[in-house]
Amino acid sequence: MLTAISSRTVAYDAETFESFLATRQEPAWVTDQRRQAFEVYRELLATELDPEEWKRVDTRAFRPEKFAIGTANQPAASFGTLLADRAEFGGIVSHVDGVCSVSKLDPDLASQGVLFGNLSDLLRDHGEILKPHLLTRGVKADTDRFSAWHAAFWTGGTVLYVPRNVEITKPLYSLIGLAAEGAADFSHTLVILEEGAQATLLEETSSASATASGMHIGAVELLQGSRSNLQYVQLQNWNNKVWHFAHQAGRVEADASLQWSVAGLGARLAHIHQDVYLDGKGATAQVNGVTFATDKQLISYYTQQTHNAPNTQSDLLYKDVVRDHARCVWRGMIKVAKDAQKTDGYQRNDSLLLSETCRVDAIPGLEIEADDVRCTHGATCGRVDEEQLFYCMCRGLTRSEAMHIIVEGFFQRVYDRIPVEIVRETLGQAVERKLGIGGV
Amino acid sequence: MPEFERVAALSDIPPGGRLSILVDDLPSLLIRIGDEFFAIEDVCSHDGQPLTNGPVDQCSIACPRHGARFDLRTGRPLCMPAIEPITTFEVQVRDGEIFVRPR
Repeated sequence: MLTAISSRTVAYDAETFESFLATRQEPAWVTDQRRQAFEVYRELLATELDPEEWKRVDTRAFRPEKFAIGTANQPAASFGTLLADRAEFGGIVSHVDGVCSVSKLDPDLASQGVLFGNLSDLLRDHGEILKPHLLTRGVKADTDRFSAWHAAFWTGGTVLYVPRNVEITKPLYSLIGLAAEGAADFSHTLVILEEGAQATLLEETSSASATASGMHIGAVELLQGSRSNLQYVQLQNWNNKVWHFAHQAGRVEADASLQWSVAGLGARLAHIHQDVYLDGKGATAQVNGVTFATDKQLISYYTQQTHNAPNTQSDLLYKDVVRDHARCVWRGMIKVAKDAQKTDGYQRNDSLLLSETCRVDAIPGLEIEADDVRCTHGATCGRVDEEQLFYCMCRGLTRSEAMHIIVEGFFQRVYDRIPVEIVRETLGQAVERKLGIGGV
Repeated sequence: MPEFERVAALSDIPPGGRLSILVDDLPSLLIRIGDEFFAIEDVCSHDGQPLTNGPVDQCSIACPRHGARFDLRTGRPLCMPAIEPITTFEVQVRDGEIFVRPR
């Protein structure tokens, strides 16, 4: 049985902040960082959000005071997850309502110096490794009120640190869960790969029930040293009552490669501010997105591919399927710095509209300061072709089976780009379930 | 059919005034013209953004960005660039309190 965290409202003011700080036992530098972020948060609350990013995202029904940060006394809820049972993982870290409930790492990985665990604990025991990376060059507290809010109130999160030249072949798993009614989660995912390191991290967000409302003010930082390889997947699978605001940043050094896949299936309103920086010569990043919005969901992405060095490559492909009265927004930008010659930047968004009343806004953009580059962008949008449906139905498929095949075919190009097989299968099944097709 | 919900007191909006409310969790606008009340979903059907500060004239509201106009009684679009109606809600006034019924 789920109990509400608090039936009274919570203002995220100085008093709440001080009582929150009192529950944390953290090094002084962390507390200082939080205090600075809190000041910025209060200032930014008084200023307007950047209209370029927010004008298509309607947050008027969002009431932050209805969501409270939980305490460690909450009972651990059992979770239906999409990924947890599908593979043998080298490590598992789970957070429920902001509190870490599971933290496991294979001993042979630990013996190689790999750190995989909960941010709060690792900061105490390995602060000197994490300090230069936490909220410094990735996600910045002063970007907007949500990043400042997160930087002041982060509750915990999954940390992965891989030392130089260590290659982890088994994937690692992280779960961010919301259980109690009115729960707030401020999880921070921090991934640091030293030179030549290699890892795969699969992260999933999940709600324990279909009806509990919640809030996630999250951040993801992926910081890669040169020649490293990272595959990171975030499967956002909240119920339809969760408000999700996330700042995500990836920084890729010379000759390193980042493969970043996001799936947006749940949430009442999800806004993801996703930045990828190619900071070293020869760095590459591939970003994939799968979104399926139904009912009255609003799923919004504000993405940026920034090329700061020459001979860098980025390739972004986001595919969305929208139905009922749902809405999907994608505002993408490729920025190329003056010295980033021979940049190869690509971004594409394809949308499939399954009803008369849904809506998609796709706005690609380029801001190029170098003069020897190749940058391409495109956006397509359309209804399901009735002729295609008729063709399938003539061959014995029902209308819903035909719809399923068409939607699956639509997403296939993105699935094919994700090399982690369990993720491909999981996504395919999650989409199928959401379409209301196929067995349970 | 959903029940009427109390959204405001009569004294909260003077004649010619308006109030932002939430109906069924949807941002909406309550508008008073004389002693008549209208409740509409606060979203322009053309660009999906708020109508909140749009000028009201003769039982219609205009979108402040591109000039689309909607009938406050029926939600019907009255001119381009709007071609789809906006949602309207039934309003009742009882004993100095204003009630709106969600769809």
